[in-house]
Amino acid sequence: MLSRPPSSRTLRSFRVNGLDDVELAQAAARAGLALRVDELRRIAAQLGRDPTIVEVHAFDAQWSEHCSYKSSRHHLRKLPTEGPTVMQGPAEDAGILHLGEWNGERYGVVIAHESHNHPSQVVPYEGAATGVGGIVRDVLCMGAEVIALADPLRFGRVEDSQSHARYVAQGAVDGISAYGNAIGVPNIAGDVYFDERFDDNCLVNVVALGILKENEIIHSAAPPGAAGWDIVLVGKATDRSGFGGAAFSSVTLDEADEEANKGAVQVPDPFLKNVIMRATYAVFRFLRENNVTAGFKDLGAGGIMGCTAELCSSGGYGAIVDLDDVNTAVDDLPPEVIAVGETQERLCWILPGEVTAAVLSIYNQEFSLPAIAHRACATVIGAVQNEKRYVLRFGSEIVMDVPIDLLTGTIRDELPVRPMSERKVTDPARRYVVASESVPTLLPKVFSHRDVCSREPLYVRYDGVVRGTTVIPRGHSGAGVIAPVPGCPLGVALGVAGNPRFGKVDPFLAAQYAVLCAVQKVAAVGARPLGLTDCLNFGNPQNIGHYSEFVHAIDGLSIAARALGTPYVSGNVSLYNESSAGNAIPASPIVACAGALDDVAAVVTGGFKRPGSALFLVGAPQNAAGGAVFAELLDQTGGPLPPIDFEAVNAELAFLRAAADARLILAARAIGEGGVLAATCMMAFGSMEQFAIGAQLTDPQDWTGGVVGELEAYFGEWGGFVVETAQPDVLQRIAGKGVRLTQIGRTLAERSLRLHDAWFDLRDLAVAWRSPLAQVYP
Amino acid sequence: MIPKVAVVVFPGTNSETETVRICRDVGLDAQALHWTHASRIPEFDAYVLPGGFAYEDRIRAGAVPAHDPLMDYVIDAAERGKLILGICNGAQILLEAGLVPGTGAVRRPTAAFTYNGPVPHFVCRHVYLKLAVDPQRSPITAALPADALFPAWAAHGQGRLAASDEHLREIEQGAHLAFVYAHADGRVDDAAVPNASALRCAGLVNRQGNVLAIMPHPERDAWNYNHPDRRESEDMLAPSGGVRIFAAFAKALFST
Amino acid sequence: MTMRCVAIRLKIPDNQAYTALTTLQRLNLEVARVDRAEIWVLNDAGEAADFLARVERNETLFNPNKHVLHVLEERVPREGEVWIEEMDQDDGDDLRRLGRPVAGVIGGKRYIGWRLFDDGGAAPRTTVMQAVEQLLCNPAIERAIIR
Repeated sequence: MLSRPPSSRTLRSFRVNGLDDVELAQAAARAGLALRVDELRRIAAQLGRDPTIVEVHAFDAQWSEHCSYKSSRHHLRKLPTEGPTVMQGPAEDAGILHLGEWNGERYGVVIAHESHNHPSQVVPYEGAATGVGGIVRDVLCMGAEVIALADPLRFGRVEDSQSHARYVAQGAVDGISAYGNAIGVPNIAGDVYFDERFDDNCLVNVVALGILKENEIIHSAAPPGAAGWDIVLVGKATDRSGFGGAAFSSVTLDEADEEANKGAVQVPDPFLKNVIMRATYAVFRFLRENNVTAGFKDLGAGGIMGCTAELCSSGGYGAIVDLDDVNTAVDDLPPEVIAVGETQERLCWILPGEVTAAVLSIYNQEFSLPAIAHRACATVIGAVQNEKRYVLRFGSEIVMDVPIDLLTGTIRDELPVRPMSERKVTDPARRYVVASESVPTLLPKVFSHRDVCSREPLYVRYDGVVRGTTVIPRGHSGAGVIAPVPGCPLGVALGVAGNPRFGKVDPFLAAQYAVLCAVQKVAAVGARPLGLTDCLNFGNPQNIGHYSEFVHAIDGLSIAARALGTPYVSGNVSLYNESSAGNAIPASPIVACAGALDDVAAVVTGGFKRPGSALFLVGAPQNAAGGAVFAELLDQTGGPLPPIDFEAVNAELAFLRAAADARLILAARAIGEGGVLAATCMMAFGSMEQFAIGAQLTDPQDWTGGVVGELEAYFGEWGGFVVETAQPDVLQRIAGKGVRLTQIGRTLAERSLRLHDAWFDLRDLAVAWRSPLAQVYP
Repeated sequence: MIPKVAVVVFPGTNSETETVRICRDVGLDAQALHWTHASRIPEFDAYVLPGGFAYEDRIRAGAVPAHDPLMDYVIDAAERGKLILGICNGAQILLEAGLVPGTGAVRRPTAAFTYNGPVPHFVCRHVYLKLAVDPQRSPITAALPADALFPAWAAHGQGRLAASDEHLREIEQGAHLAFVYAHADGRVDDAAVPNASALRCAGLVNRQGNVLAIMPHPERDAWNYNHPDRRESEDMLAPSGGVRIFAAFAKALFST
Repeated sequence: MTMRCVAIRLKIPDNQAYTALTTLQRLNLEVARVDRAEIWVLNDAGEAADFLARVERNETLFNPNKHVLHVLEERVPREGEVWIEEMDQDDGDDLRRLGRPVAGVIGGKRYIGWRLFDDGGAAPRTTVMQAVEQLLCNPAIERAIIR
């Protein structure tokens, strides 16, 4: 009775049968659908009839790239997802890494990564804020307490105070700040790069971490025996906002369409989210105390339909949802908007009927959701059913009735890819940079470069210390560190990486560097890298060049992660990142690495500690300067990226950890943009307030054996670490074979940087380093 | 008897967990008390209003929660001399409720912690708080030495003290200026102030001394791991630094 | 130099207006609806013809994806309305503090406009006065302008 086919007499259907391809394409465009003609025909064939309006919108969301990963999933399979640190791999909204054991409990770090690029380009404040809101729900719905945020950002040219790129750069940061601060989750890591190719398409990625005990994991599936259980919707009243959101993020941005896209503006409400999070923690406690297994998932792309269908189908069930029972903000919403609209701040439980009333009471009475936001509440909207159909009721009618697996099953687009052997290879003749400037003139320029200079004016707007768990806040090292469990010595480190300048040179190697740099940032604070999450930001997959970059980057991510033994437990794909002129963004595989400190007492911070201690370089300088900031400043871009010797890297990572555990390291920093000199000076800046320690470096000829040019040695971005130690002999003794360890200088009891042929006042360098971004973020 | 402290949670509060934790670390029987349990307020010996964004700072920081029914009980407790400590958003609420500096009527504020200057955006910066009144001015600070200095984090968008010249004079002359911002070495100058606050104010106390409002968060630099470069002992999990204000608060409660 | 006055409202749901409404109702004021707008009084050296285009290009003041803009003929609050201004800023130039200039505009002053309605339409002056005194204005730092 419930699953009878919708009556075509009373319901508007979307006509597929009887239209030719041109007519069908026009009809789809008029209806605002992103579904292609072949997909529409497949839906009609599988259903044996024309779909209803609600059904066609449901498939439009579910079969969008955003939900279905139709052109990426089969490539993502190449990524390593298993290993001893994996508590849960990438099957649900977030993955879980094994942090460590304490008091007989196994603790897991939940990690998820998401992009909110397209919305942030149009309405940066709301777009970025809802990005934070979404990723927080992904972590929350695993049963975890949300403990940290990080935000990799890519913006366009911000120098012109009137530019849209500047508006986006300011608005997105304000949105992240407003949302993350209000919900009370510290922002502990992130990066930002600026490039003209992000003018029309910024990247706003967000990473969130959660903490739980292994026996507290809640899955995003209806549990065994769930037939007849309640489907409970929690949160904001459903409104028109975000209708068409899933399809929106899968369509190339076009300036002229911005107005038409405004239905896709998602409205953040961090105040409501703050309360929902705390109420949900109370529900977690209630369910644990009563030994109740439940299913839990956040509402994202595809709205109520997408969430309930995936919850039930992944448990092997069907669902019936009554749209009349959904709390809506206004009374006249059409069923397709209620079903697939992407109103923020909503979650969905699958609960056995006997606990439903108690859970509703926690949300609605104890935490008074209806008093927090207009018509917000927790309410029963449907039931899990054995029959594997997905049914929506509205009014007295059934407006959707389809096989649930057709809706949520895998679909795949085979798109043409160029073989790896045909990828652009840089002319090896351009290997050496011509030193057209001296180090003294180049150094301040490198420091004030928009991708090297201090990020403090930006991250000072984020609360980095709420919860009182922060060990290393932003700016003190490449990675942030927290001690998330009160009274427990376990520490969690988080670092992100993904250099778009490298992405322009070679997406394959750039992806390897994204992994390497994220891992190195985590290793530099003394943590053991546990695993990764990735966000793949690329252009239009229908363009073979852009799609090939994407596929080659996945190969690079795979190679590096396998070599370093760091599996992926979650990730996100964002395609169609380009302007209407068809200019894609630089290939942007962005990687976050979570690390573990068995004892936060072993943490290594980034600022110099003592004058007269020894400075070591871990890693080998290389001549390759492709993608390096100094090469760009010398107008000599396009050289090859330095190759990576993973065997040596592994030896160095093991050495660093052993040295940190033995408390031999006073300070350490991973070498990134601006090379050894930038890393060294940031370590000095980190000590300036308290200790006023500078550095003296020897002639780079001595530490490179003369085979690497001076500029490449000082400014090259070939990885490695700068390490401060008071026990150079012990450090050298524990460095095993294969560890490239070279003393490059020592620290000084003065605010200077002394090179073999030059001297700098660190205060001058600090001004050059600190001022540029203060223009954009006053 | 171990004093019972309610850490008062409004919708939008976000610092209740660490505030409860530090209160327990100094020996108090602390618990988070949610807005839906307002009527339990009289059970407690003292109150901490923690940080966050109660009602998301809508209209003005502290304005809406100052009118929450929960505050009726807190205002009553203040008038009966119970100790009340407001931190960050809690401080903003105490000002909007007129309890601090307390130079006007209830819910008719005479000062505000308002948008930071010179640029009105959120600032998260490590700071030092310096006691600017005689420790005996308030029971909450009585156990601190004169000129006590301890670390904290400023983390607010609206932390700049602003008031009319007349009210600022009242604050100074009435010894309401409990804390000022300082450098690590105790020096006080404008560079130490993260928000252009009038009088370099970081904290205010009411006339009776039982209600203290401090803008930065001492509870976020309150354990050794919060400042790994300045270890005060080798036990990274031990309380230190900002815990001192809570220890003084606890001492006041144990001695009454 | 011409003073031009615009009111900019969110066309997406305005959470602040919602909270103002529920709080005023809790304070037993007879209010059925609250509208909130940013009122900008801009000191414009440019042409009237392209004024709106210049404001729109600023984006921070006005983004058509989320805002609606009205040019106000009169620089005074309407019936049922109060404008709140910050008193304690020295120069009174809120546009400069915004850090994003509008081409041709020398400076600007910002007010928050709250308009209250009861079941019969714009709320009477006494209701607005009560709302100002009890919630909408902190007299230590703000000034309320009522018609």
